[in-house]
Amino acid sequence: MKWCSKDLDMYLQASEYVDTAIVPLIPITWGAQKKNVILKGEFPLILSEEIERQLKGRVFLFPAMTYLASELDEDVLKRISALTSELEHEGMPFTVFITSDARWTGSEELGDRLVNIPPVPLEHMDEEYQREIVSEQVKHILQIVTKKWQNTL
Amino acid sequence: MANKDEVSRRQFLNYTLTGVGGFMAAGMLLPMVRFAIDPVLKQGAGQDMVAVVEENEITEEPQRFTFKVNQKDGWYESEVTQAAWVFKDKNGDIVALSPICKHLGCTVDWGTDPSHPNQFYCPCHGGRYTKDGTNVKGTPPLAPLDVYKKEVKDGKLYLGQAEPQ
Ligand code: FES
Repeated sequence: MKWCSKDLDMYLQASEYVDTAIVPLIPITWGAQKKNVILKGEFPLILSEEIERQLKGRVFLFPAMTYLASELDEDVLKRISALTSELEHEGMPFTVFITSDARWTGSEELGDRLVNIPPVPLEHMDEEYQREIVSEQVKHILQIVTKKWQNTL
Repeated sequence: MANKDEVSRRQFLNYTLTGVGGFMAAGMLLPMVRFAIDPVLKQGAGQDMVAVVEENEITEEPQRFTFKVNQKDGWYESEVTQAAWVFKDKNGDIVALSPICKHLGCTVDWGTDPSHPNQFYCPCHGGRYTKDGTNVKGTPPLAPLDVYKKEVKDGKLYLGQAEPQ
């Protein structure tokens, strides 16, 4: 389900079937590094949308959680944990952050909520190849997510 | 002076008209040329039917094929990739099923549940469907998978809208 009122209505009808929030974790900047930073956001955003398409009935795709590339780790993490604890309280036991920002690798606070995908510059690839790469990664993320679900049904 | 003026006006009109005519001709010809050199990508078989796969690639085992359609989502029109599970049934008839789970819309896969290798399986809440798309009783989906409108032309399978069975 997507972040729109139509899908929210669907959620309200079927909330017992929806237990996972998908949150893209995206750095932003308008400084000299912007090309690089955009690259780190492009891929996880595409993947998140694709995951929503495949798992529409059990996940809710949130708007990206963004942070300034210059923002301190602890400040970002504080916002992240505020979000996850609200989600948990409000009936969303699983949160999956999808990022291509290596900065969060091994972060204890994020733990197994984090899915870290190496960024891929799709811009110079032909469409066929792009699709292959995306579907490969999507498969990988699907496995991670469905594994979390084992024993919950 | 007057003479010269008239000639140049006529010339001017000539030029303009040829120019405009040229544009009009190009405007008419270009789509035709594109249509002629690009027949496979165009919707060749009737309205909204899209070429998906060569008929001889279709097996008895369901395979997943993707194709592109234009979709209007409110005011936003975009090209979306759709998928279909395509196979030949016992009588050799082609079946094309929509992969969208009738429970809450996840994407079903063929044979991914180890204990039911010959069924469609939904990863979200364990919904299952038999090969012909019929929902298995006792799993969440309450209806069979949608079926695509289909047409075979020149050895190619064309698919249209998915419709409830
Ligand atoms: S969406 Fe397929 S079983 Fe619930």
